[in-house]
Amino acid sequence: MSYKILEKKEIAMRNIWYRIHAPHVAKKVQPGQFVIVRAFKNGERIPLTPVMWDRDEGWIVLITFIRGRTTMRMASELKEGDELLNVAGPLGNPAEMEKFGKVLAIGAYTGIVEVYPIARAWQELGNDVTTLHVTFEPMVVLKDELEEAVGRHVLETVPIDPNLDFPTNMKNVTKRLTEKVRELLEKEEYDMVFMVGPAGDQRAVFNVVKEFGIPMKSDLHPIMVDGTGMCGACRVTVGGEVKFACIDGPEFDAYQVNWDELIARSGYYTDMEQRAMQEYMKALQGGEQ
Amino acid sequence: MARPKLIKERVPTPERPVEERIKSFVEVNLGYDFASAVKEAERCIQCPPEYAPCIKGCPVHINIPGFLKALRENADNPDEAVKNALRVIWNDNTLPAVTGRVCPQEEQCEAPCVMGKVGDPINIGKLERFVADYAREKGIDEELLGEFIAETDGKGKVAVVGAGPAGLTCALELAKMGYKVTIFEALHEAGGVLMYGIPEFRLPKDILKTELDKLEKLGVEVKTNYIVGKTVTVEELLQEYDAAFISTGAGTPKLLNIPGILLDRIYSANEFLTRVNLMKAYKFPEYDTPIAVGKKVIVIGAGNTAMDAARSALRLGAEVTIAYRRGREDMTARIEEIAHAEEEGVKFEFFLTPVEFIGDENGKVKAVKFMKMRPLEERDSRGKRKIEPTGEYVTLEADTVIIAIGLEPNKILVEASGFETNPDGTLVVDENLMTSIPGVFAGGDAIRGEATVILAMGDGKKAAKAIDEYIRSRRANA
Repeated sequence: MSYKILEKKEIAMRNIWYRIHAPHVAKKVQPGQFVIVRAFKNGERIPLTPVMWDRDEGWIVLITFIRGRTTMRMASELKEGDELLNVAGPLGNPAEMEKFGKVLAIGAYTGIVEVYPIARAWQELGNDVTTLHVTFEPMVVLKDELEEAVGRHVLETVPIDPNLDFPTNMKNVTKRLTEKVRELLEKEEYDMVFMVGPAGDQRAVFNVVKEFGIPMKSDLHPIMVDGTGMCGACRVTVGGEVKFACIDGPEFDAYQVNWDELIARSGYYTDMEQRAMQEYMKALQGGEQ
Repeated sequence: MARPKLIKERVPTPERPVEERIKSFVEVNLGYDFASAVKEAERCIQCPPEYAPCIKGCPVHINIPGFLKALRENADNPDEAVKNALRVIWNDNTLPAVTGRVCPQEEQCEAPCVMGKVGDPINIGKLERFVADYAREKGIDEELLGEFIAETDGKGKVAVVGAGPAGLTCALELAKMGYKVTIFEALHEAGGVLMYGIPEFRLPKDILKTELDKLEKLGVEVKTNYIVGKTVTVEELLQEYDAAFISTGAGTPKLLNIPGILLDRIYSANEFLTRVNLMKAYKFPEYDTPIAVGKKVIVIGAGNTAMDAARSALRLGAEVTIAYRRGREDMTARIEEIAHAEEEGVKFEFFLTPVEFIGDENGKVKAVKFMKMRPLEERDSRGKRKIEPTGEYVTLEADTVIIAIGLEPNKILVEASGFETNPDGTLVVDENLMTSIPGVFAGGDAIRGEATVILAMGDGKKAAKAIDEYIRSRRANA
């Protein structure tokens, strides 16, 4: 099986669009499911979400945010016509497809790309879906697609202040996110809230949603290795029980999630991730000049 | 006729010295050369195959005296000797470089060996390994493979789910009979536990990969990245294939249901070993997958997986302690592996059951609190002494913990396909290894729970025969 890159383009700052030949996934994938990709011989396995697909033509679209070594390597080394080494899937459980009523589906940063297939399917099913995308100004993606797919698409952008470091800039996104969610929930009555984004932002939004007593689902992103339930790297505590996000999720009831634990677990390899990234950037600079 | 002279002691195999081997993942045991292999083979008293106890002890019933005889018959022509020996082995087992290394021979073929009554049993495993290694190095296996390639026209198509030892064996046996076989594997490499679980220092991955090359040469297709139950269902497979064999193993780790299980640096042995073996995290950052191992590692459990995890952690520079809730004699790991671990400096603590993982202010594990246990005279169904808590506690420092207390079957496939299962999640099969779905057979850890590589291979072989009969009778009645 070859997983050819049929199309590759930068659709926003640090956001890369890949259309991949993967008929085995395209044929079966449902909104909410993900794939595990390995792009290089000495590479790691990373979870990504099919954003769009064509079952007949056999392709899926993946959108990556350049966040560390693997996503950066993919962006800089892979060209159209190249092949990904492995695309395994679909994995995880499909999102629940029901008539919830009025739904607010939130995507922080590149999280919106995972919201897209689910929100679109919910709308098609007869739900009244509002999507909210909060991100930095140069990182807006899928705006037109979402405006066409759902009842209403709300876009909130935050400027990147070059005088501030990235973590401080991110705090501004969190602030805008919570303010906007509060504003929307105060103005209108929603039956359900769904969110994809960093665990810290999910917790911040959940704390707002909780005040309104509205049901909330969260797409969780713990560290994954195999994605098939054989290692437990992605374990999370939900309702006091240990669950594996790759086979029991990735979608869970936000009221049942132990957020503090999840946030701590997502930072386990930060030092090594930075080292890997730095060495790669050093190699790039050394190699290019 | 002169009575054969019995040589009681086995010819030893050299091993890499401890100081050297704990710094790398290269193979510990160096195996026989031809001269010493012949010498060891000559110790065999050649029991007739009809009742040779070693053959009965082998789950795939290799004609052991037969291949040892082939080795010694051509003592002056090593290539010919190995070719003849390998031919005998391949009749029953197509992965001898693997089984010669990882089988618990002391419980299988070597246990009933008649020579074991008067001295050391014949070193069957190391001889099997020698034949496979020598043949591979000299390209003899390539030459021989041609004899086993069968005509595949019209015999039938079989889907094998899972490329671990059971699935590989079933596929290879069916291919030798002339079936068109496709293996569906969820991970990006075939091999199952041989690839992700057993470390390089016991089973070098290059050797495994050459063994796996046989699949292609015998016409078996391997589809990686296919998760049966998600990518394709068993029902769909049955529309295209005449029969299916489920060998999905027992790959889901059991975790301890105690406080602190989600702390940083607590790994399941499966995650730890997958990172190390499959993803080569010990070569980070040359390889992209990270692994975080501190200076003090505690491994919980005392099976082969625990030994593999402990010895891997040691090679990553840690001081390693194995904590086990029972006693030394109750450990389930192979004797050879326990000895290796001890030689390499792994420490053992017995009669300790973990009750809590204690974390620091950053959410990293810093200690494990154990309850001290006490052995009783009474024994359980497996013959192990029962234990009871003493009410006393002990806390051991650790900056990394690896949990190796066992595995259970993965639920993806079972849930998607509606198989009848036992309470422990294993698939229900009949005496022919057929599941509750007609035409779908199963074997290995998927029906046994966590067991051994060679038992899985035995199931694969048995299932291949049953599948052959099933397809033939269906075609005869059609």
